[in-house]
Amino acid sequence: MTNVGAALLGMLLLVAGAHASTGATVLAPGYGQLAFTPPAAGSYSLPALGDAVDGRVLDRDARQWHLHDVLDGKLVLMGFIYTHCPDVNGCPLASYVMKQVQERLVNDAQLRDQVRLISLSFDPDLDTPEAMKAYSRHFRREDFDWRFLTTNSETDLLPILQGYGQFRQKVYDEDGSYAGSMSHLLRVYLIDRDKQIRNIYSAGFLHADTVVNDLRTLLLTQD
Amino acid sequence: MNILRSLVVLAVTGLLSVASYADETCMSPYMAKIQGQEDFVYVWTLGVPGVGDEQDKLVTVDVNPESANYGKVIASLSVGGRNEAHHTGLTDDRRYLWASGLDTSKIFIFDVHTDPAKPSLHKTITDFVAKSGGVVGPHTNYALPGRMMLTGLSNNRDHGGRTALVEYTNAGEYVATHWMPTGDNLQGAEKSGQYADGYGYDVRVLPRKNLMLTSSFTGWNNYMMNMGAMMADPEAMKAFGNTMVVWDMHARQPRKILDVPGSPLEIRCAWSPEHDYCFTSTALTSKVWLVYLDEEGQWQAKAVGDIGDAAKIPLPVDISIANDDTRLWVNTWNDGMTRLFDISDPHNARQIYEKKIGTQVNMVSQSWDGKRVYYTSSLLANWDKTEPAGPDLQYIKVYDWDGKALQPAFAIDFLAEKLGAPHQMRFGAHSLYGSKADIASR
Repeated sequence: MTNVGAALLGMLLLVAGAHASTGATVLAPGYGQLAFTPPAAGSYSLPALGDAVDGRVLDRDARQWHLHDVLDGKLVLMGFIYTHCPDVNGCPLASYVMKQVQERLVNDAQLRDQVRLISLSFDPDLDTPEAMKAYSRHFRREDFDWRFLTTNSETDLLPILQGYGQFRQKVYDEDGSYAGSMSHLLRVYLIDRDKQIRNIYSAGFLHADTVVNDLRTLLLTQD
Repeated sequence: MNILRSLVVLAVTGLLSVASYADETCMSPYMAKIQGQEDFVYVWTLGVPGVGDEQDKLVTVDVNPESANYGKVIASLSVGGRNEAHHTGLTDDRRYLWASGLDTSKIFIFDVHTDPAKPSLHKTITDFVAKSGGVVGPHTNYALPGRMMLTGLSNNRDHGGRTALVEYTNAGEYVATHWMPTGDNLQGAEKSGQYADGYGYDVRVLPRKNLMLTSSFTGWNNYMMNMGAMMADPEAMKAFGNTMVVWDMHARQPRKILDVPGSPLEIRCAWSPEHDYCFTSTALTSKVWLVYLDEEGQWQAKAVGDIGDAAKIPLPVDISIANDDTRLWVNTWNDGMTRLFDISDPHNARQIYEKKIGTQVNMVSQSWDGKRVYYTSSLLANWDKTEPAGPDLQYIKVYDWDGKALQPAFAIDFLAEKLGAPHQMRFGAHSLYGSKADIASR
């Protein structure tokens, strides 16, 4: 309870701080109540959007994995993040919504063992396994399957970004040095047991209600 | 220049992962947008017999006043033949520009990120009709997360107006076809008025309301016909859309068919999170229409303003909404006029300014801040006017808007330059990609 409370407090501070720093920034729908009733699970289809590609990744204990082995036949929600992302409607949104999904599923006997959450960093320079471990403490419950991954190098990372179509661009200071932040289009991917991408969510579309609904739809239509 | 560019980079960076609202005010709401000075305009241009190489082409115009090439064509990429070049759309990550042809149903995907000053042809989709199950005439190319939603205008069974939405991945792989609801197959949608024609034209979304909205034009038989012959043919004139369809965006299922008589064309939705409405203009009845959520939470449509004198057939075409939802530019093709409407009260659109742009005017695009307004002339190859010859016939014209009047900045005569008939414009900027960018696909 203490951990959950601390994590929530951290999240609120993160959101409040970012909100204050961005002035008139409108928080993405994922931070609030969904403004519509989503279509009933199973009443719609989620056609395949291509292969979820493989690649070499590191877990938060610095163990090497093939990404496909992490996907491991589960229904997967995977978001690309970097831990020092300053944009409240970027990576913090992804982690916030995935945390909401975790809270929904942890007591859901039907779904909780079917689903794996993955947060994969696209900044191997600064997001070491240790950094991912520290970051994960703000979000991950000990009793839920949420992996925090990074890569060993840009060489390992770039084919993964290419495969998922995840655009990312480092921001440089006037002197040409890396400013430590990246512009990117937030993307979170829903991946089925056959390693097919079944939905892609960006800032305006990512919400725990629709994600859980889509997970149920996959469960209802795939087995 | 470096400082200016950095400012633009910052503006873009701050919004790339935000619900990035983008011509900059007319595109998909969740796309990176250029808030500062745009560097380029990409103009999808119809090939014209007897003009230059006679092929459709993507023309890149330098529009940054600080550039030595300001106001000049800096690149032109012909695609080999004529396709009835019409509309274009950028992918959500703004790295590719999709440009479609209404006649051949080909879709040309241009890489605009590797060298924003010189786009290259990345891929051509040639099996749109077969893959989609008979949809003809890809029109709007609209960005959704990681994929593109294309509207069709026609079908391969009768080349009439019944058609569908067709979804592709950003990589250009076919995903799904979503047929428009018709009277004999409502697909669960409510027919709220007297029409359920199944026609298509434009598409826009309001994700926070799960709204996907489509409009309706006419089929291949009409848009490829000589305009004079068509207008003299009563049967042909009956074959125009009279509907807009409210879709459940997430489910991709039609929910409600709204009567909007007279061919509602371009759709522009309001930007404010408090504004649950979108505008369109009707080509044949010359009105501004509003699609809005009523007090019961139901989507409704109503006419909210007259565009010129409908009896004179001004023919409203493209529209462009300001980023603060207070103004709407409306072009009327037949009289070559652009008209500015005050839409502060969306239920009462009032014209407050007008100016003649050329012999004919079709598309209008504005910078995010509304200070620069761009116009092109061409509507359809067989509908375009061919006289009087001169610089007002087929052009791009750029104006500065000072809040009261349009002041000419520069113009290019696309016939004199042997380019063709210019249609859809999209903006580009170095700042979107950064000269020092570490772009994943490189």
